Amino acid sequence: MGVIDLKDLEVRLANRVVLNGLTGELRGKAIGLLGPNGAGKSTLINTLLGFHRPTKGTASVFGLDSHLNRAEIRGKVGYMPENDSFIGNMSGVRFVRYMAELAGLPPEVALERAHEALFYVGLGEVRYRKVNSYSLGMKQLVKLAQALAHGPRLLILDEPTNGLDPVARLRMLQLIKDIRKEGSIQLLISSHLLRDIDDTCDEVLILKGGHLAALCNIEEERRSNRSFMELETVGATERFSVSVRGLGCECAVFPGGRIKLILPENVEVRDLYVIASEQGVQIRRMNQRRDSLEDIFLRAMDNDKERIANGRL
Amino acid sequence: MAVYKRSYRAYEGPVTSPAERILVLARYAWAEAWASKITIALFILCLVPCLISLVGIYAANNPLVRSLINGKASELINVDAGFFLKVLSGQCWLALVLLSWVAPRVITFDLADSALPILLSHPISRFGYLFGKFLALFATLSIVTWIPCLGLFIYQGYTSTLPWMAGNLRIAFGILAGSFIWIILLSILGLALSAWVKWRVVATGVIFAAVFIPAGVGAIASAVLRTRWGFLLNIPYMITLVWQRLLGAPEHFNTDNFLPNGSIACMLTLACLVCFAMLNQRIRAREVVRG
Repeated sequence: MGVIDLKDLEVRLANRVVLNGLTGELRGKAIGLLGPNGAGKSTLINTLLGFHRPTKGTASVFGLDSHLNRAEIRGKVGYMPENDSFIGNMSGVRFVRYMAELAGLPPEVALERAHEALFYVGLGEVRYRKVNSYSLGMKQLVKLAQALAHGPRLLILDEPTNGLDPVARLRMLQLIKDIRKEGSIQLLISSHLLRDIDDTCDEVLILKGGHLAALCNIEEERRSNRSFMELETVGATERFSVSVRGLGCECAVFPGGRIKLILPENVEVRDLYVIASEQGVQIRRMNQRRDSLEDIFLRAMDNDKERIANGRL
Repeated sequence: MAVYKRSYRAYEGPVTSPAERILVLARYAWAEAWASKITIALFILCLVPCLISLVGIYAANNPLVRSLINGKASELINVDAGFFLKVLSGQCWLALVLLSWVAPRVITFDLADSALPILLSHPISRFGYLFGKFLALFATLSIVTWIPCLGLFIYQGYTSTLPWMAGNLRIAFGILAGSFIWIILLSILGLALSAWVKWRVVATGVIFAAVFIPAGVGAIASAVLRTRWGFLLNIPYMITLVWQRLLGAPEHFNTDNFLPNGSIACMLTLACLVCFAMLNQRIRAREVVRG
């Protein structure tokens, strides 16, 4: 059983199909939810939380139906919404305690954990100040604290780095990495910032126009695409390239000793060094280009375009 | 999490029942309402008529005081259904004043900073959320309406030389039922209007307006069209009739403007349904933009 299971999920809002035929099983420790604006990321999160009812298909979290068992799901989930969402008139600790009590914690435990959560996210010193007086970064952190305070099994973060300055963004990303490393919480992070997802997630669900554009394990995807290399050499470059071709590599030589090649599966990087050593060629630079999440994302977007075009044909 | 370790720890302890979570909402709403000094001042103001009534009951039942005042004056403080109708009416109208201040405090703080997505992402339904807020208002209004009125009723029973209480149980029932109807109506109205108006001061004004403007419109309609049915828009008129009938006090309104109980019940129910529709529209974790 995955953390999140989607089976032909369709959600219509105001007679408009927002999510269409989403099917997939998300098992990752930290799942990234990517897509351009209006792709349906927030709608998917809202559906998982039971705010929207699927018009077709099902969505389940920990095997619980997102609509029928929404109260149970909400008890297991911590949610940090994208936009401002807090009670500004309350102090940070009172707000987090209130949310923890609503999640089902007894009052004394809720108070204790509210203090701990605020210290954990770095708001310990300002926990008695009213939330209204917090900076934008602090407001994001207090939202994270309330999502963590009751000890959820799944933490849903909707654009967690939205509006943060670089320092606050790094701090937020570090917190997310720490939570992931701790291991008891699974994460669903929605963002349109590829870098944030790249840094924090091991699985990614890419949405486009309400469709599933891609669902992949980021590490596996990278591994399957890491054969492309760029070399900068000094010495007998031509002879070197011939030898490299002899290993079965596709190879192109450029002026200045630059070589671009694609390694077949049975050839290791070490073999290149051996040939270079035998032929007295210096390898000054080696760039093993790995597919970035950006490549995966762009490919997913292109695939989606092709799919739509084929569908029309 | 542990403060000294700065690390996260999962929670594996017991959790409260769903009913207790509604009480959490009620408790926080109550605390929010009573955090204001103005609430305290209004509460004290609401108790002043009760204290005056208490003195009146004491005077009515004390032979020495009765002998000190002349006959006509002693008739004025005759403690009967009419006396309790005046007390109940006074308390209930003061409750409206208190509500117009408290109801916006209970709900607008949540709406002003869009807290609903976070609140409703917890294991609590929209109904549970509203019920929790309603309980806070119900409790707040109770302590200025039926609780002091019943206290006066008990005091009258205690100080009266006659077996007064057993013979006037209808008054107690009327106080309880009349207050409940008024409190429920006011609480729902207060929540609905506060949910639609973000600014607390404006919400206070709107609550008063919602009670008195339709009354004025209804009176004009009745006068122009020469019909009594315009009074169905007049909440103060209808609720006073309800109190009179529940307490068994003599009706002092013009008999031409008689409204049957059924039509009053329908109108008050309709008002509540409109409020529920307003709340259903407003109290949502996510708004769906149409078009």
